[in-house]
Amino acid sequence: MDAAFRVEVETLASILDHLDYFQILELEPGATYREIKVAYHRKSRIFHPDRFLGHGDREFTAKVLAIHKRITEAYTVLRDEQSRRQYQERISGPERERHLRWTLQQEEESPAAEEVVGTTEKGRKLYGAALAELAAGRLDAAERNLKMALVFEPNNPHYARKAEEVARLRKASLQEGSLSST
Amino acid sequence: MSDAIAVGIDLGTSNSCVSVVTPPGQPVVIPNEWGELVHASVVGFLEGGAVLVGNEAKRRMADDPRNTVSSAKRIIGRYFFSEEVRRARERMPYEIVEGPNHGVRIRVRDQLYTVPEISALVLKEMKELASTHLSREVTHAVITCPAYFNDNQRQATRDAGRLAGLEVLRIINEPTAAALAYGYGKGLSQKVAVYDLGGGTFDISILELGDDVYEVLSTAGDTYLGGDDFDARIVDYLVGRFRDQTGIDLRKSRWCMHRLKEAAEQAKIRLSAEDATEVVVERICKDPSGKVLDLRDRITRQQFVSMVLDLVQRTFKVCDEALQSARLTASDIDAVVLVGGSTRVPIIREGVAHYFGKEPLGDIDPDHVVAVGAAIHAASLMGKDAGTVLLDVTPLPLRVATVGGYTEVVLEKNTPIPIERSKIFTTSRDGQEKVRIEVLQGESALAAECESLGSFEFSGFRKANRGEVEIEVIFEIDNNGIVNVTARDRETGKQANTTLRLSSGLSAEEIEEKADRLRNVRLARGTG
Repeated sequence: MDAAFRVEVETLASILDHLDYFQILELEPGATYREIKVAYHRKSRIFHPDRFLGHGDREFTAKVLAIHKRITEAYTVLRDEQSRRQYQERISGPERERHLRWTLQQEEESPAAEEVVGTTEKGRKLYGAALAELAAGRLDAAERNLKMALVFEPNNPHYARKAEEVARLRKASLQEGSLSST
Repeated sequence: MSDAIAVGIDLGTSNSCVSVVTPPGQPVVIPNEWGELVHASVVGFLEGGAVLVGNEAKRRMADDPRNTVSSAKRIIGRYFFSEEVRRARERMPYEIVEGPNHGVRIRVRDQLYTVPEISALVLKEMKELASTHLSREVTHAVITCPAYFNDNQRQATRDAGRLAGLEVLRIINEPTAAALAYGYGKGLSQKVAVYDLGGGTFDISILELGDDVYEVLSTAGDTYLGGDDFDARIVDYLVGRFRDQTGIDLRKSRWCMHRLKEAAEQAKIRLSAEDATEVVVERICKDPSGKVLDLRDRITRQQFVSMVLDLVQRTFKVCDEALQSARLTASDIDAVVLVGGSTRVPIIREGVAHYFGKEPLGDIDPDHVVAVGAAIHAASLMGKDAGTVLLDVTPLPLRVATVGGYTEVVLEKNTPIPIERSKIFTTSRDGQEKVRIEVLQGESALAAECESLGSFEFSGFRKANRGEVEIEVIFEIDNNGIVNVTARDRETGKQANTTLRLSSGLSAEEIEEKADRLRNVRLARGTG
């Protein structure tokens, strides 16, 4: 491998976080879908980590991989009309530096992930089973699973809330049933 | 590394195959000492501790069903409570039991084996026959898996390779490997569909082949559909007819069912060439009076077609999905490559020709093409320069669990790999020290309907008031299609500690320990 390429990799790796996706792929902001694809192929041909698998220098190959992952990321965001439009808006705005990479934000209302999925394996499994039963309309089974889940995690507010919700639904359906039977 | 030799291994549900590219660059399929090129993925545990792998083990299956393990790939990387494992426990004559972390263990001759260990024994056989053929120790391999395999299944496949004492250069998708074999040295510029119907799985991949870059545009699959299901339809038919004639239910005996399944598979193969075939299983059972009965029946190709038509149609639904995802229609496809022994069935070939409006390529051996492609990739990975650059995709959406048992997509299916995507989480309590994230893969928005890849717990970031710490969780899918998750404090850039990863996979220590055990296993040589 020639020294010039090594320098190119070193340089690119060091400025990677300051480049936008168009700069990564060396494209004009108005690039067409075809041009984006061609650039992705061209760049992959140069920076695909497979080309350096047998290369002994771990640090160097890690840099190549980082560059290639960013190339793929750029392609993924830019090839899709919707994400591309959004991305271009973001990088033209005042917070350009913050938006150079496509990052997902946690939705506002989300509570801590820890509470949502449960803290015990059994609790999580039972909770998942309860939701599946609920989706299938089997309220009895859903309620049973939730009660069991609460045995493992008595303080999980999500389990408790869901259990209340299911109990309400059940009561409603029972009343409905008794009305229609009279 | 440059003087080491690397093979390509197609680790199939029913059959496996190994290939190598020897200088100056022709791929060859490696035969065993009996000249066989395709080897049953069947592992027989013999008395005295030796293990027999391949076609000989398959032939002996009926004599020793409880100590013979077949179709391990159907349950590799699956949880014990999964539908696949439940079905295998019903169908398979060997004993499947629950292991730690909802894992699966197979009990043979009072020993417990993980599923990757069983696959490792098949790989060990491939490694040994390649080493014998090449007169040198084979140490490196590219191993293939169905495109639609999830992270757990891919990790388990890679573990199997390591357990077999192989340095696994890469796990590549079977259809991608087939496309590589098809395009090798041809300098094509085409859009290609690879239709891969194996023993247990169906995959379709759409690729754009360029000069030296192959881009997978989309992939879709059904891990519950394969040639075995065709056999099962014939078995259903024969069982029903036998019951009508004799009143005896053959399903009650695993031994009978096993013999019947073999006969069904043979009948299916004969029906590829003949319009009708006799099915005879002698001495299949005794009637209540003790009289020994034979099963004798006849199946026409037409009857067979009507038995399996819905299965064939199911594959085209999956093709629709793949084409749509690639934003193409069937008429955009320049060539269709068939993979897997099941594509020898005429109704499949006819169906494919009709669906794509062109005859599938006839000069490629569907049993060898995947191993050959893997060998080509192995050779290029060992070289200083890769011949063809492969740009593959992830087959399933990657998700995180959210509120109320739902999930959010982090990376869509058919996203090119390797890739990273980060998601920002904020703490929801004052002084929160840990964040736990459950990562899943699957098409459904409901967590319960997706495959859990594990729970990651991150700690070691600043203590602060709620909402003040932004934790950036980075999801990476590597070139093997394997998922890695890391996290860091967004403000300080400090890497968080991952304290926990729950999944049914093997730990590094377990791999080492089990690799040791397998190293000492003696592979018996059959009699051809």
